[in-house]
Amino acid sequence: MVSVEEPKPSPKNPVANGQNVDGVFSPRFKSMAALAGWDEEALLLASLVVEDTPERETKNKKRSDLLFKTPPSNSRRKRRAQRKSPISIPVAVLDLDEEETTRKGTESEKKNPEMKNVVNDEKKKGANESPEQNSSVSCSSSGLPCMDKLREELSCAICLEICFEPSTTPCGHSFCKKCLRSAADKCGKKCPKCRQLISNGRSCTVNTVLWNTIQLLFPHEVEARKAAGALNSREAGCKIPETAFYNNLRNESTRASGVSSRDTSSRRRRGTVSHVENAALAIRSQRGDEDQSQERGVYNNVRIRSSQPGVSSRDTRVRARRGMLSQDEDAALALRLQREEFMDAFRETSEQSSSSLSLARANLRAMASRAINLRIRGRTNM
Amino acid sequence: MMISGGVGGNSASSSLSSKALTASTTSLSASGKRIQREMSELNMDPPPDCSAGPKGDNLYHWVATIIGPQGTPYEGGIYFLDITFPSDYPFKPPKVVFKTRIYHCNVDTAGNLIIDILNDSWSPALTITKVLLAIRSIFTNPNPSDKPLIPGIARLYLADREKYDELAAEWTRRFAK
Repeated sequence: MVSVEEPKPSPKNPVANGQNVDGVFSPRFKSMAALAGWDEEALLLASLVVEDTPERETKNKKRSDLLFKTPPSNSRRKRRAQRKSPISIPVAVLDLDEEETTRKGTESEKKNPEMKNVVNDEKKKGANESPEQNSSVSCSSSGLPCMDKLREELSCAICLEICFEPSTTPCGHSFCKKCLRSAADKCGKKCPKCRQLISNGRSCTVNTVLWNTIQLLFPHEVEARKAAGALNSREAGCKIPETAFYNNLRNESTRASGVSSRDTSSRRRRGTVSHVENAALAIRSQRGDEDQSQERGVYNNVRIRSSQPGVSSRDTRVRARRGMLSQDEDAALALRLQREEFMDAFRETSEQSSSSLSLARANLRAMASRAINLRIRGRTNM
Repeated sequence: MMISGGVGGNSASSSLSSKALTASTTSLSASGKRIQREMSELNMDPPPDCSAGPKGDNLYHWVATIIGPQGTPYEGGIYFLDITFPSDYPFKPPKVVFKTRIYHCNVDTAGNLIIDILNDSWSPALTITKVLLAIRSIFTNPNPSDKPLIPGIARLYLADREKYDELAAEWTRRFAK
């Protein structure tokens, strides 16, 4: 399959010189390709403009949903594999812009490039939005010369956007189902265009042919409307900050432990200190390591708590990890951390960058206060 | 990493949700969207002798100008109008008020004007462009028969057209230039 498709895009390589990919394949060709079971993405691989990838993917997905229920070749994993294997070839040959190379560099991580693509996509959308509203560019985006007229013709006269789930009146005018319904509710049961009487029963059915046509012609607009509708219905506003918060917590814990261990090791390496101090230092750093492991335990518990908010289980876990520390020990820990901080401040030498020191110090301070807070909270919960 | 962790690692859905997020932050309600759309259409393809746009930051308060059409006593005058969109626009008509004084049987001294499409005959399929064109049309064809706001002017218009034109041109010189 790949061997059949790969030579296809190569004569159309001029696309890589910054032209719009959509101009190359007409929508009809694309739908024919989809019908034949060809992977549209594979067709476009050589002429791939990176920012287009997610949009193309969604389009492809939607179309496959539309045209056949169980596409044999469009399984996600397979598509990804296909994309990855030939992608190295066109990159080397075509010398696309630097975004391609950055993408290549981060491809080992699975999610980052996707995020980046999303951002790129949005950037592009934002740049495109104003000209598209001016509708002078919009025809080039879909390849049909009559696209402007089609857009005008398939727009709802009420919301002035592309009809979403169009519903046709007995007099033959089509509007978005929602728009028509609210027009009938608020302005009386007459057609907004010709003022003929409309019966409410008919006006609630979607004109299937028209709707499918619109979905084929304006997939981006339809997707945007769908997404907006989904967002309105489930109110995802509070969901994302929450996960971000927990992720932050997790990141911070790993970063803090990494930095402080580096800190202690560098302290060990230092040769300018006297022997006595060295010994004391060694002991302290050892203790520090212990503290770190304890603190890591605390952070692990924080992580666990974020996933399962059962109070009692959390408490037992904290105590089991820590081996029942008394309040005095808490105070001692805080004191020791503070003292270490002071010592570091005095012992600052040229080989150590002050920025990493201050970062480590801030982390230590934060860890200490958080550990104490956690313990106090745990005790009050008891 | 954070977002896809929440959505489930599906690139299509994550890109969708982020798109929707930007959409929700940039746009307001259905009425706001429609007004924005009308604004861009108006800028793209303005009707003859008319212009309109938001007064300030508020999308729901517009100011419009209509230039008196040639061959009428209002020729050369510049008429300012205030347009206020209701929150359930386009299902309710916008309110249009003349800010410039005009000698016309369908416009009262406070600037209120009566045309059917701004009252009972309003349709959500009408746009501000069409409203402005309708207002412009009453410059050329005053409507003295259908409940005129100022019956005196309507009577004069029907009885003595020359006198009416003269008075209207005088008001245009005094107030609209």
